[in-house]
Formats: sequence, C-alpha cells, structure tokens
Amino acid sequence: MDLITLEIQWQRLISIMDEVDNATVRTSFSTIVGESRDFACILVDEAGSSLCQSNFSPPNFCVVLPRTSKVLLEKFPLHTLAEGDVLCTNDPWIGTGHLPDYVVLTPVFWQGKPVAFMGTVAHLTDVGGHRGDIEAYDVFTEGIRIPPSKLYLAGQENPLLFDVIGSNCRVPDMVLGDLRAIVGTHSLGARRLVEFLNDYGLDDIVALSDEIHTRSERLMRERIAALPDGVFEFGLDIDGYIETVHLQARVEIRGSDIYVDYTGTSPQTRLGAINCVYNTTYASTLYPFKCALVPRIPNNEGLFRPVHVTAPKGCILNCDGTHPVQARAKVTNNINQVLFGAVWPILGEHAQAGSGSIWPFSFSGQADGYGVFSAHMLPHGGRGAMAELDGLPPIAFPHNSAVTAIEVMETRAPLLFLCKEFLPDSAGAGYRRGGVSQTIRVRNIGQAPMNARLRPDKMFCEPPGLNGGKPGKVGEVRWNGSVLTRFPPLEFKPGDELEMRMPGGAGFGAVAERPRALVERDLALGYISAEGAAADYGYTP
Amino acid sequence: MTQGNLTPAANASGEPRVDPGAQSAYRFGFDIGGTFTDFVLIDRTTGAITSYKTLTTPHNPSQAVVEGWKQLLAHAGAQGDAVETAIHGTTLITNALIERKGAKTALITTQGFRDVLEMAKEMRYDIYDLLMVLPEPLVARPLRLEVTERLNGKGEVVIPLQLDNLEALQSKLLDENVEAVAVCFLHSFTNPQHEQAAAAWLHEHLPRLTVSISSEVAPEIREYERMSTTVCNAYVQPLTERYLHRLQSDLSELGFRHHLYLMLSSGGITTLDTAARFPVRLIESGPAAGVLASVFYGEKLGEENLVSFDMGGTTAKMCVIKHGEPAMSDDFEVARVHRFKRGSGLPVRVPTIELIEIGAGGGSIARVDELGLLKVGPDSSGADPGPACYGQGGLLPTVTDADLLLGYLNPDYFLGGRMQLDRAAAEQAVRTVLAEPLKMSVTEAAHGIYKVVNENMISATRVHVAERGGDPRQLKLIAFGGAGPVHAHQIARALKMPGYICPTSAGVTSALGFLTAPAAFEIARTFIAPITQDNLADLDAIYADLEAEGRMRLTEAGVPGDEMSFTRKADVRHVGQGHTIVVPLPFASLANTDLDQDIRPLFYRHYADIYGYAHKHLGLEITTCRLTASGPRPHISLQNAKASGAAVSTAIKGERPVYFDEAGGFVNTPVYDRSLLEAEMSFPGPAIVEEVDSTAVIGPNATVKVDAYTNLIVTLHDS
Repeated sequence: MDLITLEIQWQRLISIMDEVDNATVRTSFSTIVGESRDFACILVDEAGSSLCQSNFSPPNFCVVLPRTSKVLLEKFPLHTLAEGDVLCTNDPWIGTGHLPDYVVLTPVFWQGKPVAFMGTVAHLTDVGGHRGDIEAYDVFTEGIRIPPSKLYLAGQENPLLFDVIGSNCRVPDMVLGDLRAIVGTHSLGARRLVEFLNDYGLDDIVALSDEIHTRSERLMRERIAALPDGVFEFGLDIDGYIETVHLQARVEIRGSDIYVDYTGTSPQTRLGAINCVYNTTYASTLYPFKCALVPRIPNNEGLFRPVHVTAPKGCILNCDGTHPVQARAKVTNNINQVLFGAVWPILGEHAQAGSGSIWPFSFSGQADGYGVFSAHMLPHGGRGAMAELDGLPPIAFPHNSAVTAIEVMETRAPLLFLCKEFLPDSAGAGYRRGGVSQTIRVRNIGQAPMNARLRPDKMFCEPPGLNGGKPGKVGEVRWNGSVLTRFPPLEFKPGDELEMRMPGGAGFGAVAERPRALVERDLALGYISAEGAAADYGYTP
Repeated sequence: MTQGNLTPAANASGEPRVDPGAQSAYRFGFDIGGTFTDFVLIDRTTGAITSYKTLTTPHNPSQAVVEGWKQLLAHAGAQGDAVETAIHGTTLITNALIERKGAKTALITTQGFRDVLEMAKEMRYDIYDLLMVLPEPLVARPLRLEVTERLNGKGEVVIPLQLDNLEALQSKLLDENVEAVAVCFLHSFTNPQHEQAAAAWLHEHLPRLTVSISSEVAPEIREYERMSTTVCNAYVQPLTERYLHRLQSDLSELGFRHHLYLMLSSGGITTLDTAARFPVRLIESGPAAGVLASVFYGEKLGEENLVSFDMGGTTAKMCVIKHGEPAMSDDFEVARVHRFKRGSGLPVRVPTIELIEIGAGGGSIARVDELGLLKVGPDSSGADPGPACYGQGGLLPTVTDADLLLGYLNPDYFLGGRMQLDRAAAEQAVRTVLAEPLKMSVTEAAHGIYKVVNENMISATRVHVAERGGDPRQLKLIAFGGAGPVHAHQIARALKMPGYICPTSAGVTSALGFLTAPAAFEIARTFIAPITQDNLADLDAIYADLEAEGRMRLTEAGVPGDEMSFTRKADVRHVGQGHTIVVPLPFASLANTDLDQDIRPLFYRHYADIYGYAHKHLGLEITTCRLTASGPRPHISLQNAKASGAAVSTAIKGERPVYFDEAGGFVNTPVYDRSLLEAEMSFPGPAIVEEVDSTAVIGPNATVKVDAYTNLIVTLHDS
C-alpha cells in the first residue's frame, strides 16, 4: 500500500471514530459518560484487533476492547452475525475489570458481510448490586453480570436482555438510555465506514489493518531496541483497603521486546473490591511504555505486540472469577508508578514520580425539588513531577476524565460545597516539585439523608518520589470532623459535612537542587507555606 | 512606511453606474489583523467596492486605520462625512490574550473557590503526552481573592454578601496597581444580586477599576467556564476601552460623524460602548466576517445551504450555513498552548459563529513522520521564511510549494506578479524532505502533499457538517482566502457536493462581511427545568425579559423599534440526558401551544435530524433560553459585470501543464484571466482562473458559469 494512501485512509478512520465519540457525549444520559467522558470509541477489524480510537478515549479501554472482541467473536463467530446485530458484555474478566463497564460491539456490514466493528466501552451509571463500592465479599454482590450476549438481533432490541438489565438497576432510564445512545452512535459510525469503503473501492479493511499494525509494531520495536537491555525491578506498597498491598514488578528489556512480570505481588483479597483482572493489568502495563516511547502514534494493536505481561494466577493483578473488583482502580492506577519506579533511569524526560490519584465520589437519593438524584464527581490529587517539569496541580492520571462542575452537582442534588481549593504543602519536594493537591468540603443541605459513596486513595502509602525526590503527602477524609478509614456506603445526613484532603504529587530529584527562586515563587503563590518551605526545602527568608 | 495597494475590487471590469444627481454615501469596513489591516469601502449608490491593504501598526493600530481611511476616500473622491457607517473587527483582543499583554487583573470569587480558575476541568487534552503543560491562568494566585457570600443551587441566598470583605481587599487592589477586576460567584447565573452588589461597591470605592461580572459576561452554568470567560473579559477590557476611544476620536478628526460599530464573534454588530464593556465577545470577529460574506454571496446566488471555506497561509476555517444561518456555538477557546488541540486553551463562553479551524494553509509544512508517513501541518512556515518557493531561505516543503509544482500556481503571477515564485527551490525542498526518503518522484510527493492536506480538510468538514445535522451532498462549498479556490474542487468532489463557488475578489471577502452584518445580539439565560404544559408560561416570562434586554441593546445601537426582530431558541434535552441541542421556538407565546402537539415533536425532529433517532418515550428538559435580537440586514447591491456577448475564448490568456489525478497526470490546461471574464460566460474544466490575489483550480468533469457579479459557479459532474 502506498504511504500517502495509508496516511489518508488512517486519518479518515480516526475522524470517523471522533465523530462517534462526539455523538456519544451529546446523546448520553449519564454524567459519567457525558461530563466525565468515562468511555472509549474504538474501531476493530474483522479479526477483533483494534485499528484506531477516538482522540479522547481513555487509554486502558482501547487496549482491552480488542481482547473482549475476540472473546465475543468466539461465542458469536463472524459468519453467524447478521446486519443489525449488536453484541455486549460487562463480564469483568472478559471486559475491562468491573461490572459498570459495558462493552458494546456492532458489526459493520459491507457487500453483505461483516468487515469491521464499531466498539464502545462505557461506564454506565448502575448495575444493581449492593449500594457500596469498596466493601464486597465477591463479584456477585457487586451487581448483574451480562455474559457475552446479543443486545440487538438484526436491528431489533433483544427484549429479554433489555428487561433483565433494566430490572437489575436503580436508574433504568439512564442505563438503557445510554445503551441505546451507544447503539445509535454505532449506526452513525457504520454509515461512515461504509462511505469510506465505497469512496476507496475497498472490499474490506484487511490490507489497511495489516499495514497499520505492521508499521506500528515495527516502530515500537525500534524504540524498544534503542533502550539498553537489562532487568529492572521495583516494589511498592500501596494502600489497598484495610491491608496494605504490595506490587512487585520485574521488567526485562531484551532486544525489541519488553517482558513484565508481577511475581511477588500480594495475593487477591476479599478485604476490599480492589482485585484486578488480567485485562486491566495488561492495559495498565502498556500505558507508560506507549507514552514514553511512541506518544504521537495513534493507538492501535500493533504497538501492543512487543510488550508481554505475566502475573501469577491468584495474585491481586490476576484475580480469579469470583473476587470483588468494583474498585480495582485503586490498584491499577498504581501500576504505572511501580513501572516508572523500575525503569525511570532509561526513560529520560519521560520519567514520572508518583501521582495523587483519583478520588471518585457520588451522592444519591431523593429530595423535594430534585427528584431521584445521582450526582457524581471525579476529582484528583496532584500529579507526579517529571524529570524536568514540576507536577501539574489536580489532573487526571493515568486515566482521563473531567471533573463535574460544582454548580452542576449543586443543581442535581441538595448539596453545598464549602470549598474546592489547593492544599498547600501537599506536594512532594524535589528538584522538580510534585503537583499540589486539593481540598473539597461538602455539606448535605437537604431535609433527608442521602447515600454517599467515596473511594479515596493514598491515605496511608505515599505517592513515591524518584531520583531522590520526596513522596507526595498522603490524603485524609473527615466526616463531621472525624477521620474516616473505611468506606462502606455512608448515610450522609442533613447537616453532615465531608472533607476530602487529597494526596499531593511526588517530587523528582534531590531537594537541594531546586533553585531558590522556584521555592520563593511557590511560597508567593501559596503552593507551600512558610513552615512548609522551612521543613521541606530548608528555606529561610 | 506602510505599503498599500488600492484594488478596485468587485467587478473591476464593470463600469460604475453613477447617478449624477445622487450624493454618494459609503459604508466602510476595516479589519485589523496580526500582519495586515484590510479595508473595504462600498458606495451605497453604485454598489462599487474598493479595497485596500496595509501593514498593521501594532503600537498604535489607529495609525494604519487613518492611513487606509484617507487612501480609500481619496480614491473615491469623498469626504469623511460621506461615510455613514463604519464597522470594525480586530484581532487585537485575541492577540492580547495570546501574548499575555492585557491589564493587571484581579479575580474575586466565592470563599473557597478561587483556585477553580487554575484547576480547570482536571482533564488532560492529550492522553499520551506525559510532558503536556496547561495554560497559565490569567490571574495568578495572589490576586485571586475571596469574599464571604453564598447562593445555593436554586439561587437562594445562604450567606449574604459581606461587603466589609471587599473593604478589606481595597488596599490590596490599590497596592498591587490592579487595573481590572473580574467577579465570579457560584450560581450567579441564576441570581446575579451578589455580583451586582459587589460591582456597585467597587464602582463606588475604586472608580478607576474596570469591573466585569460573570452574570453579565457569560450567565451560564459551570463555574470554571464562566470564570474563565469573565477573567478574559476583564483582562482585555482596559486596553480595548483605550483603543476604541482613541480610534473614535481619530475618525472624528477625519470628519466621520456617525456611529462606529464593532463586529462580534456571533456575526452581529454592536456599539462602541457595548464592545468596550464586553470585549471578549469580539474575539472571533475577523473569521466571523468571512462567514457573513459567504452568507451574503449565498443570498445573492440563491444558495442558502453552504459550507464557508476560508484557507489562508496558516489555517483553514470551515463553517456550515443552513437556511442562510451560520452554525453557532458558545464553546470556544482562546490562547491555546497547542493551537489545534481542543482543551489546551482558556474557555470563552460567548456566542460565536462556529468555525472549525485546522492547521492546513498554504504555509503548512510537509514532513515524513516516525512511521514513514507523509504528514502536512499543523506547523506553518509563517511569513518568514515562508514556503521554499518564496526564495526567502525556507528549506521545508509546504502546501504552496506543492501547488506550484503541480501547475496550480503561476510562478510569474503570484500576487499579480508582485512576487516571483522559485520553482527550483520548491522542487529541491520536496525532493530532499519527501521524495527521496519516501522513494517517490517529486511530482508524486507534491501530489501527496496536496492529497494529504485536502484529506485533513475533508475529514474536518465532514465531521463538522455531520455534527450540525447536515448532508454534504446538499451543500455547496464557497471558497475564499488565498488558497481556498486552489483546493476547493477536490474537497467539494470528495464530499460529493454538487458544486462550489469562488466569489469574486477572494482577498477582500472577509472585509466585505463586515458591511453585510446587521446589529444583532445573542442573549441567553440558564433555566433548568422539565418542560411541562404548566411552565410554558414561565418560559414566556423569561423570553419577555430577554426581549426587553435585546430591545434595550438594539436601541443603544440605534435600531428603530419597528425594525427589530427577535428569534427564540432553547437548549433542550431528553429528561435525564447530559447534553442539549438548540431548538428554534417559532412561537410568539409558548403558553398558547400544546406541549405534546407542538413542542415535543419539534424537539424529536431536530434531535433525529442530527442523531438519527429520538427517545420519544422520554419527556423534555430545558436548560437555556436563548434569544437573538437583530436589526435589519443592510441592503448592499453589487455592481453587475459587463456582458458584451464576447466569446469566452477572449478571456484565455494562455495554457500550461497542470496535474490532475483524474486525468492521470499533467494535462495542458487553459488559463483564464478573471478580469476578462464576463457575465454569462461558461467553460468546462479542467481550467485555471487567475486573478491578482487568488487562483481557482477547476478540475475535470466540471462546468464553470460566470454569474452577473463574476462569481465562478462550478457544477461538478459524475466522473
């Protein structure tokens, strides 16, 4: 295939997925999809391999979806599919590791046969199950599991499946509305793909797919081969839930391959729904290498091939099919940190210290003037410092999402936020400082109790510094002034207040090397206090 | 020092029809760009248009304006007082934001929320770039101040505004020499009372400060976006105010006796006073004018469904026009860290003609990327060194170099022959950077540049049209800007459009747009509620308020009451949904309509137009009431071109080999001199049409018809 045609056709496919992505935001019902963008739109070839994704899609979903597709295609082989069929599953072990993430896959027909799939992974609002988040004995407590199924049959809704999903969640209009919206975006994407095939007189996308995968893999291998061969190891304690969890990574760079093994990592647990299925471990492992080695190449399966990931069965990074998984992000969000801890010396400017994590929380209930409400927010701690850059203030990492506006929260639910402001002295010191984190305080101003769910992180184990940089400060949650360490669903009564002090990003490089002028600037901006400057930087005016 | 060129623009071939008895009256439009200031003067009596271009004088932009004014009026033989309307657009405000040259600004927020400005949406705009940085906030933390006050989500007062808090801030504002203050309190879009009280206090106690309050600047939900918009407004307000008053007085000295109007990003025009209060609404005035010119030509040609396509040196801008109305959006960003990365800039929530802008212009640089693929843009060679063929030392191949090598541009007639293009330099750049590494011929590589940059524009246009619920097969492209008519043919063909239009004098198209704008204001108010039969009357009350405000603003702009018109729209969604669509509400009274018969079907139809289906079992929720208040659109007549009945061959000035993929390579192609074309002439593609500031490239399987104003109307045939 000539290079100009390849460039033109590849960009066209990405623009199709961007259009599907846009339509998803605009037609969705939930804040998770519409405001927080917790979804991805991916084009998959007829073999189930990913070809491209929309530009804003979260990285992990894109790595997992092709794995899910291959399982769906085993159950529903290509030649059995009819036009208008839509496949779906939310099985954590087949999909992205917890029940709310539905994978929806629609075959695109051209000249009478399926040639590709529109794929979406989206975090839907509710899957039934207990009201909690992190405390669950097993996955069965956590909600309904839909095995690989047909959501639509030849263009018609599968009435039984819609009924089952709707009957097993608290907000069926929202969940089914989102599913229908996704299927709508797939028909749009399918129309666009057919136009594309027609414009270029193609029978299928096999050749194009091969070319994209081969070239991408070749480049990824060149980049890996340019790294020195060697074995790098790092161990990191993270919060877990109730009990600390240890992550242990061994990274071997050999020729043009990377082998990552997690032997030595803590076993799966029933103390907290924080177990990770292999799919998410695999995806979280690829991410830092993709960013450091080929940040500008559109994500596709060719880039994944040279990276090999193993985790012992039954460890927390490869749990079995019964363990609870809802809050797995508390572990997966740390995988990049254990990998950076191992290989940072060979990553140059892309080396990154530990970040302050995501602190999702939501409030639901019923109140006069608000009806049945569910308001949901994804705020963050500070980001880790890079080799030559201070860490960013609160921002999503390693996933990506947007924080819900306070005004949207307060319009949807009887809440009053008392502050959302920087938390001085939270960042780890270093030649490059970590990102400053934030404090959020919120009060129930309604007449009735509501259900609060929150999932803080890094309250015990600090985000690790690198190359002599100091760790970020741990976070803290207070409920009416008392420190909370366990997070079952909270009965959030009228007048109750929650305060969330999120963890700061860790520093990079020796503190003594930070220029005095930068310490003074941070002081003037209030990122650090006079006491903090003295304690963390030995600064005296 | 300024070097200007007087160009009798439209219909240079036509004889002005001057009614000897009539006193000429003029409309004068001028656009201050980063490099050039463009002027256009239209004689209302004859329809004659003259244009002028001079270098912008950044230290005192007014200087270039005075120069252009004198030149154009002298050319027309008229005095300053013969100009009845002057309309102005400027990039000054955008540049002040990009270059961080605005006023020292403070922000006052609700206690506990000053850092919202810096935390923004906590979202990364590039998920794979670990080195990504965010734009610095316009107000650094020490000048982000807080006061005690609070409204709840219903807009009710929870804590009254503590005015003594402001008193405590007074000395800080004075000591720090703050010039401008932005005030943004939570939920002020529902209840502006606290912001208004704070503004009143500041006016009284610190009268030298300019004050912007969020409930006036951008009264819409979402505190970060509203705060950002208000801060941007405050930041550029002192500078805009000084500049506009200076300009007004300079024009008065030249004898100008009437209102000076400013072009808004929304495509309306406003008075100097309003512009000085809300400069943030002027940010996209220049590009908006280009779209208005497209609307104007569309009207003249009876085409109301168009894609306006403006391709210049650095960017291409596209806008969908449906039923004569350009697409609007209030989701805009300014001063991006990465110019073409959405999310990397400062959000500005003001009504804006929705243009998509991509890094595809004549100066866009082509290169081979890490995967060995040919990429074009978004980097541009700019004016210096410019494309390799400019012969100013540029070594990187650009779109203009490709256009030259493919025979689209005439090396001896670039800018009417004022600049000689260097073919050898273009060839050298394409060979070294692309052809050799990609193992292809120079022609193949040049055509590769052409195809890739076209595809970038085609994809962007396709997505934009689809988002607006349009079908490209029912739209025509209207192409202008220096490079627009060179690329229009392939874009229109790829999008399966029936044809495209190259208006006369592409170089002044934008400036002409200024003269076609009515006085118009977009006013909005957030109101979130399910739509029920019972609350339709409440909506009527809100629209009545908005209409009163619109009436007031139009009156300020000098529009007589009987010439005002008001259009109601609303942002509506299915109950429970996150995002809305804009639905026109063509009802004088909503209370007299039936929800199920009139309103719901209207929404479902609009929704299905865009997304293919609607959830008809779900009810509707409104989030924002919108009103467009406008004055009459000015009547501008163009001069008719000569139609002597001469054969079209008289307009051919030569031929040259030109590359067309469809024809399998270079084919000898006739070159027409646009100034010799006459109304009603018609000729087939392939053809080249040259004029001073642009070249139109017509491919095979097309017919060109010259209309009464020498616009080229191109019809595409199935190939």
